[in-house]
Amino acid sequence: MNLAPTLALASTLLLAGQAGAAEWTVDAGKSRLGFIGTQSGSPFEGRFTRWSAHIDFDPANPTAGKAVVEIDMASADTGDKQKDESLPQSDWFDAKSFPQAKFEATSFRAKGPGAFEAVGSLSIRGIKKDVVLPFTLETSGASAHAKGRLDLIRTDYGIGQGPWKAADMVALGVAVVVDIEATRK
Amino acid sequence: MSDLSGSDSGRYDAVAITLHWVTAAAILGLLMAGFVMTSLKPGSALQFQLYQWHKSVGITVAALALLRLAWRLRHRPPPLPGSMPRHEQLVAHLGHWALYALMLGLPLAGWAVVSTSPYNIPTILYGVVSLPHLPLPREANALAKLAHMTGAWILIVTLVGHVGAALRHHLVLRDAVMVRMLPRFRRD
Repeated sequence: MNLAPTLALASTLLLAGQAGAAEWTVDAGKSRLGFIGTQSGSPFEGRFTRWSAHIDFDPANPTAGKAVVEIDMASADTGDKQKDESLPQSDWFDAKSFPQAKFEATSFRAKGPGAFEAVGSLSIRGIKKDVVLPFTLETSGASAHAKGRLDLIRTDYGIGQGPWKAADMVALGVAVVVDIEATRK
Repeated sequence: MSDLSGSDSGRYDAVAITLHWVTAAAILGLLMAGFVMTSLKPGSALQFQLYQWHKSVGITVAALALLRLAWRLRHRPPPLPGSMPRHEQLVAHLGHWALYALMLGLPLAGWAVVSTSPYNIPTILYGVVSLPHLPLPREANALAKLAHMTGAWILIVTLVGHVGAALRHHLVLRDAVMVRMLPRFRRD
């Protein structure tokens, strides 16, 4: 398919916001952007209730794909009032100074049948790091279901200041869990 | 030997008795939790839970103390027996006011500890009601901790005196001073 490089080039040149060939509309009600942490040895789960994703990804041509996910860091919800009050504070997400986290995939890689990697960067608290998000993809007709998990060291992004830099109470290893249902635009 | 007139007039009323014993149980729990949680390995789940429980119950004791003071204003406690020497009556009153001061001061000092802690952990009373931090600088943490710990030891000494005095009234002087604060389960 010799059209692919042309398309890839074209989509790279296109300004953000303009419709690409393989854009997706995320079904917010069925999708979940969650996280897993560990306090005193017990894992806990939470999710962000406010985030948006712009995904331009053709499974047949992953390298040309790109995606931007913007997360409202004040919207973390664990179901535990104590954690929910703590997380937006300056020791943790510092949502006042850094209201938004951003995941930006600049390309995708096929890793096998229904398996991909989103290659790009993650910025939290103003700290940007290169990351690779592995995910599985199931498609049926115009809809798709993607599931991925990104393991992070929270202190790489300054999450946990002062005594929280140590792992005594809250483990340094955390995971971001992505479960997205979307339909082709 | 009692110079108390009537069987009921010398007793504390049911509300005062209930508040007294609820507070007593809470304070014993607080002291035990306090010593256990500060000696546990930092970061354990039990330690974290004990701290949260200690904060909730401590604030409850302060609220109960205010309630008791308000109740006391409207419902005078029964007088001490006239047979008690003046200086003993004075010590008894001082002891009781010291206990009120501790029931308010210790939770306040504890609240100051929490509010200035480098961990900055929100206080959610019983996991439900948010208690804001006191507006204090982080530098006050060491002082607040010292005040809370010193207060705890002063409380222990005062409580030993309180219980000792009550037992002395009951067992040695054989008057009704202790019995009038005991719950009465049967009507007579």
